[in-house]
Amino acid sequence: MNARIFIGLLLMLLLMSALALRAGALPLPWSALFSGWQSTSEHHYILTQYRLPRVILAIAVGAALAVAGVLVQGTVRNPLASPDILGINHAASLAAVGGMLLIPGLSVFWLPFLAFTGGMAALLLLKLLANTASPMKLALTGVALSACWASMLDYLLLSRPQDINNALLWLTGSLWGRDGSFVMLAVPALMVLLPLSLRYCRDLDLLALGDERASTLGVSVAKTQWQVLLLAVALTSVGVAVCGPIGFISLVVPHIIRRCCGGRHRILLPLSALAGALVLLLADMLARTINPPMELPAGVLTAIIGAPGFIWLLVRMR
Amino acid sequence: MTHHRHSLWRWGLPVLALAGVFWLSLFCWSPVPISPFDALHALMPADSPSLPEALVQNLRLPRSLVAILTGASLALAGTLLQTLTHNPLASPSLLGINSGAALAMAVVSAISPTPLAGFSLAFIAAAGGGLCWLLVMTAGGGWRRSLDRHRVILAGIALSALCMALTRVTLLLAEDHAYGIFYWLAGGVSHARWQEFWHLFPVVVLVAPVILLMSKHLNLLNISDDTAHTLGVNLQRVRLVINLAVLLLVGACVSVAGPVAFIGLLMPHLARLWTGHAHQRLLPMSMLLGATFMLLADVVSRGLAWPGELPAGVVVALIGAPGFVWLARRRG
Repeated sequence: MNARIFIGLLLMLLLMSALALRAGALPLPWSALFSGWQSTSEHHYILTQYRLPRVILAIAVGAALAVAGVLVQGTVRNPLASPDILGINHAASLAAVGGMLLIPGLSVFWLPFLAFTGGMAALLLLKLLANTASPMKLALTGVALSACWASMLDYLLLSRPQDINNALLWLTGSLWGRDGSFVMLAVPALMVLLPLSLRYCRDLDLLALGDERASTLGVSVAKTQWQVLLLAVALTSVGVAVCGPIGFISLVVPHIIRRCCGGRHRILLPLSALAGALVLLLADMLARTINPPMELPAGVLTAIIGAPGFIWLLVRMR
Repeated sequence: MTHHRHSLWRWGLPVLALAGVFWLSLFCWSPVPISPFDALHALMPADSPSLPEALVQNLRLPRSLVAILTGASLALAGTLLQTLTHNPLASPSLLGINSGAALAMAVVSAISPTPLAGFSLAFIAAAGGGLCWLLVMTAGGGWRRSLDRHRVILAGIALSALCMALTRVTLLLAEDHAYGIFYWLAGGVSHARWQEFWHLFPVVVLVAPVILLMSKHLNLLNISDDTAHTLGVNLQRVRLVINLAVLLLVGACVSVAGPVAFIGLLMPHLARLWTGHAHQRLLPMSMLLGATFMLLADVVSRGLAWPGELPAGVVVALIGAPGFVWLARRRG
C-alpha cells in the first residue's frame, strides 16, 4: 500500500517535472524535452538556463519545507505547529532581507546562514514566550510573532522603494529568476540535511508515545528535541534563502500524508518530501502559466491551496 | 467632587492629545515649509489663501480628518466585536473582515469596466467583509460560547491569509504594478482628499450615534442572555444592529484607507484600562484613542521615510504586532 503510494507520487513528480519543463511564457514542444539537451538545439538555452534550475529548486525546496513540517510536528506534538505558523519562515526572511539591504553586495551564499540565525532567534523567543501545552495557544503566539516579523519586513521593504522590485517577488515567495547559483546552494545543503533527518525516524516515533515512555525506551528527550528542531530550522532556512517565505506547505502536506499512510516517520518523511515537492512544483507551474508572460508569486498560490487545509484542520480539531 | 475632577482628567488628556497630534499633522514634514500658525490660520476660511494655507486646506486637512475617522471607526468596530463574541482577541483584522472587504473590492474593481467610487465601493467592501466573517465564525465555532477562544482567531487568520493571497493575485493580474499593490495592501491615508472624506464621513455620522445610544444595551451582552431577556432587552435585535454597524464601518474604512490592522484589536483594550468596562464610557474612549493613534501613526509614517512616505498601516503594524503577542499570551 505504502509502496504503491510512493511509486505513484514519484511518477506524478516525474510527469509534473516534464510538464513544468515544457510550460511557461514560451511553451516548448514535447520533442524539445528529448532533443533540447544538445547544445545545438534552439531550445537548449531556455531549457538548461531557465526551466531546469527552477524545476530542481521547486522540488528541493518543496521537499525541504514538508520535511521541516514533519519534524516540527513530531517534536512539538502539536498538529497546528509548523515552521510557517510558528513564525520561523518570516523571521528567517526578515534576517535575510535585512542582510541584503544592509550589505548591498552580499553573495547569495550567505543568505541561508542569515536566514538560519533569524529562524533560530525566532524559535528561542517563541520558547521563551509560550511555554505552554495548549496547541491553540502556541499556534496563536506563533502567529502573533509572525505578524511582528512580517510588519518589520513590510517596513524594511516599503521604506526603500528603490530596492523593492528585487525584494518583492522574493518576499512573497517565488522562484522567478532563480538560476544555477541557487541550485548549487540549495541542492548540496539538502543532500546533507534530508538524509540526516531520516536518522531521527525511530526517536520521533518513540517521542510520539509521550516524553516519559520515550525516555524509558532510551531516547534522551531534550537532546533529541533540540537536535530535531535545529534540523527543521536549517531546512526551512535553506528554503527561505532560495525562494522567500512560502507558507502552508510545511503545515498541510504532512497532515495529508499522515492521514493516508499513518504516523510512522520512516514512511512519513520520504512521502512528505515527495508530496511537498509535488505541491511546490505545481504551484510554481501555475504561477508561470496562468497569465504569461507575467509571473505570480508561487507563495500566493500555495496559500490559496494551503489555507483551506489549515481551516479544515481547525474544524476537525474539536 | 474628587471623582468629578478625576473624570475630567481622564477625558481631557486624550482630547488634548488628539488636538495636539491633529495640529502637528497639519504642518509637520512638509516639502513646502508650513509654519504652525499658517496651519491654524488655514482652518479659518479666507478669500485668498497663501500657498501653505491652500496646501493645508486641500491636502493636509482632509488627510488628517480621514485618519481620525478611520481610526475611530476601526476602534469602535473592534470594541463591538469584542463585546459581541466575548473574545478579547476579536477585531476586524483577526476575524477576516478587513481582508474579505479588500478581496471583494479588488475583485469587483478588476471585473467592472468603469471605475467604481464612493458608497457602492463601501457597500461592496462591507458585503465581502461580512461573507468572510460568516465563514470564519462557522469554521471556528465562534457562535457557541465555546471554551476555546483561540480557534476562531486562528480560523480568521487562515481565511485572512487566503483572502490576502487572492487579493494579491487579482490585483497583480489586473494591473501588474507590484509596488502600488503592496502599498495599498499595507493600508494608509496618504492619498485621501476631500472626496474620500465625504465617502467616509456620512457612514460614521450615521452609525456611531446609533451605537452610542445603544451602549446601555451593550452592557447587557456581557451578562447572560437569560438575564438580559428578563430585563426586557431584545438581544437578537441588538446583535443584528451591531453586526450591521461593524460591517458598514469596516467596509467604509477599507474602501478608503485599505486594510489597516491592529487598531481594532488594541484600542479597546487600552480604553478598557483607561475607563473601565461600561460601554457608555468605553465606546467613546476607544474611538478617541483609535483616532489619536491612527493620526499619530500617519504623522510618524511621514517622518520615518521623509521626504518619501510610508503607508500608515505599516507603522500601525510595527507598534500593534507586539501588542497582539502580548494579548495572545494572556490567559483568556
